[in-house]
Amino acid sequence: MIRVATDIGGTFTDLAWCEFNPATGTVGPVHDWKCDTTPGDLAAGVMDVLSQAKISIPDVGFFAHGTTAVINAISERNGAKVGLITTKGFRDVLEIARGNRPDLFNFRFRKPPPFVERYLRREVDERANTRGEVARPVDRKGLAELVAFFKSEQVEALAVAFLHAYANPTNELAAIEMIRELWPEIPVVASHQTTREWREYERTNTAVLSAYVAPVCRRYLAGLETRLNTAGLKKSPFIMQSNGGVTTVDRARANPIAIIESGPASGVLGAAALAQAMGRPQTIALDIGGTTAKCSLIDGGKPTITTDYYIEANRENPGYPVKTPVVDIIEIGTGGGSIARVDEGGKLHVGPQSAGAIPGPVVYGRGGTRPTVTDAHVLTGRIDSTKVLGREGRADMAAVRAAYTELGRAIGAGPEETAEGVIRIADANMENALKLVSINRGYDPRDFSLVAFGGGGPLHAATLAAALNIPEVIIPANAAVFSAWGMLQTDVRSDHVRTATMRLDSVDPAEAGRLFADLEAEAQAGFTSEPEARVVLERAADMRYRGQEHTVRVTLPSGTVDTSQILDWAERFRQAHDRLYRIRLEVEVEVVTLHLTAYQPIAKPKLIERKAPPASSDPARTGKRQVRLGGVTVEVTVYDRTRLVPGMRLDGPAIAEERGTVIIIPPGHKAEVDGFANLVIRTGG
Amino acid sequence: MATTASGTDYFTIEVIQQALAAMGDEMFTVLRRTAHSPLIFETLDCAVGATDANGEIVAMGNGITGFLGTLDAAVRDVITKYAKPGNIAEGDIYILNTPYEGGGSHLSDVSLIMPVFDAGRIVGYVVNKAHWTEVGGMDPGSVTTKSNEIYQEGLHFPNVRLCERGRMNDAVIEMIRANVRMPDMTIGDMWAGISALRMGETRLKTLIAKYGRVAVEDAMVKLLDYGEAMARRELKKLPKGTFRAKDYLDNDGLGNGPFELMCAITITDDEFICDFTGSHPQVTGSINATFVNLCSRARALFRAVTTPHVPTNGGMYRPLKVICPPGTIVSAMPPAACSTYFESAIMALDIMWKAVAQVIPERLSAGNLASTCQLSIGGRNPKTGDMWMMFGPFVGGWGAERDHDGGRGQFSAANGQTFNVPVEITEARYGIEVEQYTFHTESGGAGEFRGGNGVHLDYRIVADTATLGTGIGRYRYPPWGVAGGRDGTCSYAKVIHRDGSEEIYGKESRIPLVKGDLVRLSTATGAGYGDPRKRSRARIESDLKNGYITAEEARQTYGIEGLDVSAQ
Repeated sequence: MIRVATDIGGTFTDLAWCEFNPATGTVGPVHDWKCDTTPGDLAAGVMDVLSQAKISIPDVGFFAHGTTAVINAISERNGAKVGLITTKGFRDVLEIARGNRPDLFNFRFRKPPPFVERYLRREVDERANTRGEVARPVDRKGLAELVAFFKSEQVEALAVAFLHAYANPTNELAAIEMIRELWPEIPVVASHQTTREWREYERTNTAVLSAYVAPVCRRYLAGLETRLNTAGLKKSPFIMQSNGGVTTVDRARANPIAIIESGPASGVLGAAALAQAMGRPQTIALDIGGTTAKCSLIDGGKPTITTDYYIEANRENPGYPVKTPVVDIIEIGTGGGSIARVDEGGKLHVGPQSAGAIPGPVVYGRGGTRPTVTDAHVLTGRIDSTKVLGREGRADMAAVRAAYTELGRAIGAGPEETAEGVIRIADANMENALKLVSINRGYDPRDFSLVAFGGGGPLHAATLAAALNIPEVIIPANAAVFSAWGMLQTDVRSDHVRTATMRLDSVDPAEAGRLFADLEAEAQAGFTSEPEARVVLERAADMRYRGQEHTVRVTLPSGTVDTSQILDWAERFRQAHDRLYRIRLEVEVEVVTLHLTAYQPIAKPKLIERKAPPASSDPARTGKRQVRLGGVTVEVTVYDRTRLVPGMRLDGPAIAEERGTVIIIPPGHKAEVDGFANLVIRTGG
Repeated sequence: MATTASGTDYFTIEVIQQALAAMGDEMFTVLRRTAHSPLIFETLDCAVGATDANGEIVAMGNGITGFLGTLDAAVRDVITKYAKPGNIAEGDIYILNTPYEGGGSHLSDVSLIMPVFDAGRIVGYVVNKAHWTEVGGMDPGSVTTKSNEIYQEGLHFPNVRLCERGRMNDAVIEMIRANVRMPDMTIGDMWAGISALRMGETRLKTLIAKYGRVAVEDAMVKLLDYGEAMARRELKKLPKGTFRAKDYLDNDGLGNGPFELMCAITITDDEFICDFTGSHPQVTGSINATFVNLCSRARALFRAVTTPHVPTNGGMYRPLKVICPPGTIVSAMPPAACSTYFESAIMALDIMWKAVAQVIPERLSAGNLASTCQLSIGGRNPKTGDMWMMFGPFVGGWGAERDHDGGRGQFSAANGQTFNVPVEITEARYGIEVEQYTFHTESGGAGEFRGGNGVHLDYRIVADTATLGTGIGRYRYPPWGVAGGRDGTCSYAKVIHRDGSEEIYGKESRIPLVKGDLVRLSTATGAGYGDPRKRSRARIESDLKNGYITAEEARQTYGIEGLDVSAQ
């Protein structure tokens, strides 16, 4: 039997697979393959990569799939024409949004337009109150008129968002039931299906976006399933979600927004799984690609999940909130393709503008003229100019040097010096992002390992780790297809959330216990189609000091909720708050939102450690080259990563090359290939 | 390569400057996330920053435009008042809120300042300022339109040590507790501010440990010079000359008014001068703003027309000059009442904007709501006796631009990263139910490009009794149109009683309400840009289809007949 994971990225579609013997539980080594992503028809690229790797689809016993179909539909604005139905008096909530203007001094500020124009935002008489009681049922006649109107407008999907539906979804359920009777084929998403947290704008927008991508996502999933079935796939594929777990195709269809960040989530999940196997519960995942660097902190072996997630938000744009559980990732606009420029005041900026895939860095010779981070790596000798992907032996070094000469002129520095300076600025950007997920949240980087992947991760990781006193960097063996590799390590997962404010000094423990029991029943019900496996449940809550608004997520114990457990909840919160903000108060603690995570473990390839005695790395040596590191040019030993085997040791300054990336081991750092074939760099931090 | 006099290289300077910017963001996050006042955590009525040893801003995280000039002034007040060598010690924290000096605005805005030392020498200061919901005074929530001198407005902290060499001054804390209505909230806000200071101090010290004091000081000097160079560069591109505007403040909350505000802006190659000479003398009611606040608003306008996207530092304001004789409504002297100063301050920004809007259309839109449109509704929970108080700014319409309609439903230019309070949270917290939150179609803001719609927000009182306060500007003088664009609509609050009787309010306090009363806030629709008759038919049809204008307005103002599109 074969276990397969495919991950569609912006440029490549990645495949990772391994043999698995269900009788013995043994797994073979993980193999990988890449082919070009096929933007017009994403599923075609999946079939390409499977056929190029000669996968026998009838032998596949587990198929996990991550896709950019949802985020693409949103960023390219080619989703559905959506109709929105709200509580009477509130159709403009979607456009008013939160009224904020992050671009403070832009007195021609324009807020991002809503995904539903005003004439397609319609109201119906209904109301629930803050206690979760239905004050007025849905006006069925009014709703029927709206459905007729939306039919005449030929909308392609509907969203329903009523006030206080987080507390009581009765009216939303009645509305979607009636819509399904009147118009069975229209996709309809109710706000409570996307999140059970309060804040009507955020919930409404999430429902709208889920409806916006629903038809595209349905078509995509149906097409993929049909092709895989035709090719002989016996078990239905699993779809990777943003929360770091997979789900069934049916559930992905019901709330497609939940798969919006599947690729980045599986990279973080891979880092967590790898680190767990290595006995490293505290890790930071660092994924550097062409346009961005992403990092995420993994505490106790588990990725952190957040629902405080926005798309398209930046310093100037409030973006759009999506209240779906997403692996907590900080993303910054610095990657290999980031363009370096000097502004009129003489200040150097690296990113967020990117040369992208077209024209790409200068060295690619596709018409790029503006110096990028990748060009700086080439000019300083970190990347061998003769081995640039796609330009082997034909890299235009004169053009790269010219671009950096021009840039350096503005600041009075030579081209190599400027190129190294650009790498320093890029490193500083990334260092600040790593601080955001660690030091700023009260974690000491010295307790962590850095797992680096993506094309740029291994180039920057050791320098960043040293700057932050992170003692160890792990460059995984499957670094180039790490997201797909991560997907092989996943479980079926669902997250359940309920806003229910409770003051811990006066709460009835039985009531709190009942709320968790409801969530647990809801979670169990979602797994009935896969009866063979047990379900693991984990509790957490967002809590705050009474009087505060913002909350801190705290993991809670399982078992009966009683008075002593409630005291434990409060203490866990106080400790978490103190770690984050260095303030501990003897003020009453309040629960705002309960969280339940349900996993259904899938048997996965067990990572096998092949311990080996220390060995010389000489057999993997390919030569030496001059590299500019730390302001001076030094001679660096170069190795072929594919010939590095467990037990081999290398001393910095050294470089290990593999297809798609380069690993830098700076002077003074030592590296070793461990029993999992990872290259582990000790920074001496 | 370029190095500083002390030999720090260009790239190291850049890296340190980035770390300073990150530090500003981080302190801001800490303050926001640990605060107890909704005005801090939702409205972001706060600012954080760091200065060099002379009090020049080198890093700033701010949520609103109004506090631009206040953090450095607060630090300078500490430097001046405690000038004797050795007076300022490591571990000190200073607290001040006086409006007349030290970057104060009104007593609710409290500044905390902490020196950062390296080897016994001051390298810089970390500072923050935030609106504490309760500082005592004559009315709950401390902000009042009824005061006629500062002594009625709450606790006054005249730049004293809240913490001395690392030891908290318990006497000050006890005084606060005894003088405010919601001491847990107020003290919680105080700790949030201290938390942000401590975070900033640690970060600055880490930076010094890594790069050395000299390099960090060099980076600060270079950063200030950079800000100045960027501002001067843009200043050269602006039209030269003197541009004038005047407008009126409706009312001082005590029935007096209107009051004239006058402004002349002179732009030369090297200077941007804002002169408010001739503005009305300070008034009895609480709408007086002090000179430092006038400077803050001038900084905001100057930023908007020169360097809106360059991160804040003190250097960029070097070409800016503000002139105003003491004792006017925007340069008030003690003991003027200042509690609702923000309404005059916003209007000061608005008339500077008005003076140059027509000549700098690439940076400025037509007139907007120009008011925070404050409402406060409060009462007591009959079961627990706990006080509840809903207080905050509201969204309205922005003015049109020369090629674009104005923004609908956003906060005034005095706000910024300000978030409205969700309906679901409002209903959970307070004794009110919200019946609508929607764009209104009152007539106004017409133009070739239309002003953005204001909103109607309806609050039904479900508590037995409640009290209403309104702090609404531009309820008599609407937002101003540009180039033939029509003026916008006026903002107002209307109370509709159960018997159907109605009253309209602009600035008023202590209006009694009972269960069943409806409070409707109507915020201004922004002004238009260009002649309405030039608006394209396609746009008018779209306006009608979306219900942004009425059919009557389409006919009367835009001259469109025979439209077959019905409003949805």
